[in-house]
Amino acid sequence: MKNKILNIKNLSKSYGAFKVTDEIAIDLNFDEIHALIGPNGAGKSTLIKQIVGSVKHDIGSIVLDQEDITDLNDVERAKIGISRTFQVSSIIPKFSALDNIILSLLDKSKETFQIFKSIRKNKELDAKAKKILREIELFDKSHILASELSHGDRRKLEVGLALAMDPKVFLFDEPMAGLDESGTKMMINLFKKIKTNSPILLIEHDMDAVFALADRVSVINYGKIVATGTADQIKSNVLVRDVYLGYEI
Amino acid sequence: MIIEKFFNKWIMFFLILIPSCGVIFDEPYFITLATKVVILGIAGIGLNLALGYCGLISLGHAAFFGIGGYITGILSFHALNDEVLFSWPLAVSGSSEMLIIWPIAILVSALFSFIIGLLSLRTSGVYFIMITLAFAQMLYFFSISWPNYGGEDGLSIYMRNSFPMVNTMDPLSFYVISLFWLLFSIFISLRLINSPFGMSFQAIKQNEERVKSVGIETFKVKLLVFVISGTITGLAGSLYTDLNRFVSPTVLDWHTSGEIMVFVILGGMARLYGPLVGAAFFIALEQTLGSYTENWQFWLGLILILVILYARSGILGLFDKKLRHEK
Repeated sequence: MKNKILNIKNLSKSYGAFKVTDEIAIDLNFDEIHALIGPNGAGKSTLIKQIVGSVKHDIGSIVLDQEDITDLNDVERAKIGISRTFQVSSIIPKFSALDNIILSLLDKSKETFQIFKSIRKNKELDAKAKKILREIELFDKSHILASELSHGDRRKLEVGLALAMDPKVFLFDEPMAGLDESGTKMMINLFKKIKTNSPILLIEHDMDAVFALADRVSVINYGKIVATGTADQIKSNVLVRDVYLGYEI
Repeated sequence: MIIEKFFNKWIMFFLILIPSCGVIFDEPYFITLATKVVILGIAGIGLNLALGYCGLISLGHAAFFGIGGYITGILSFHALNDEVLFSWPLAVSGSSEMLIIWPIAILVSALFSFIIGLLSLRTSGVYFIMITLAFAQMLYFFSISWPNYGGEDGLSIYMRNSFPMVNTMDPLSFYVISLFWLLFSIFISLRLINSPFGMSFQAIKQNEERVKSVGIETFKVKLLVFVISGTITGLAGSLYTDLNRFVSPTVLDWHTSGEIMVFVILGGMARLYGPLVGAAFFIALEQTLGSYTENWQFWLGLILILVILYARSGILGLFDKKLRHEK
């Protein structure tokens, strides 16, 4: 238990008779990337929404860093250290890439309710945001409106927003979808680097990336975790091959 | 942005030019019209913070405009009649001093904005529109059925409230007072929209879910914007009562909310000077078309349709684009 930063037990959610997540038990260790894979509609994104608190679960508990966060709302969970990316890019379209990152830095630096201080004169926020933009290789596009960024750059920007929060855990929902080879490579290197500070729960369909990154992999199908293990154990799991991979690796 | 700044300077120039013409040609009516534009512009600047910058479609800002108006009217009424406002727990009399009336109008408008915002902001979309409208209509019907202050007939205050060392009955003097508040409202808005708080509420308009996900308490942010917005509109209501030396339930009616919204949409939402331009355009139409036909609002409706269909950034936005094409 002491080794786990995120511990989810018995998490279930139903819409009528349809169980979207069914007694999910999953955890995240310090320094770890735990990948969650499964077919479309298996309940991966719903699970993320339940963890961040945007979808209320019916039963179950969520403990983050020894603190029961089950009854906290989405904003409170974000404040205490859960940072996410969305399955479909979610950015502030009419803000520049730089301003998107600055927005993400506001809460941590207790600046949200600064009413009369000019945001443009806050050198500290500006410097922090630019550092993050360099990390995600978007520094050259700092002043481009987020809506004008390419799909791949928006995915990078979303990861940048998550990084800016300096959270306890990252929940990344298909962060590499739509990235080109160099973008994926950059993301893999970045994730390897940041996991030492904040572990990552990763949903990803790019199996090469998953097996390159994940310390553990869980497979979800019809809202249930059907297998958990190291990358090698998952690759050789017959059931997983049947329900998701569909081939032998 | 540079082009918009250029226009803003021209707007400021007109704010000085028009009343100057009124003085030169001895036409105080021009000064009164300019004062009306300035005061309605302040009301619009208030709404613009909530509607234009934060995406809160309030159809209840007449409530704050009317509260500011009635506070001014009631305090002044009691002062002129030398009656106490209330006698328990302390005897409090009215006042005809603007320097006393303004802070009270501002505080009461802020309080009502807080209460209405606290309840309304639990909803969104069409429900938010309806609940803000409902609050304003409640106050409207309350004012109609309040005989102490004129009920449906309204309340006349005969004398404009006073300001130290200024003859407020002089149209130009009152214009300068109103202009000061306009500039103050613009200054407050400008500081707000360029602050971290401003960044938060402008982001909420675009993608509230994302803003929540970075740990920003969007409810609190929206509530504070709503309170500031309602307070500025309340201040405009206070000045409007002094301009007309009269306040009636009309200021609380939903038509007033609609008109303030029209100023914002016509001039340009989320543009600092948009509501002022919208109010000026509205008054100009009222004065020009109104002299030909009683149904001038038909033409206003037509123009509003055209603006919504073809110039969503309002008059300022349209001009802005035109100049960019010419470049």
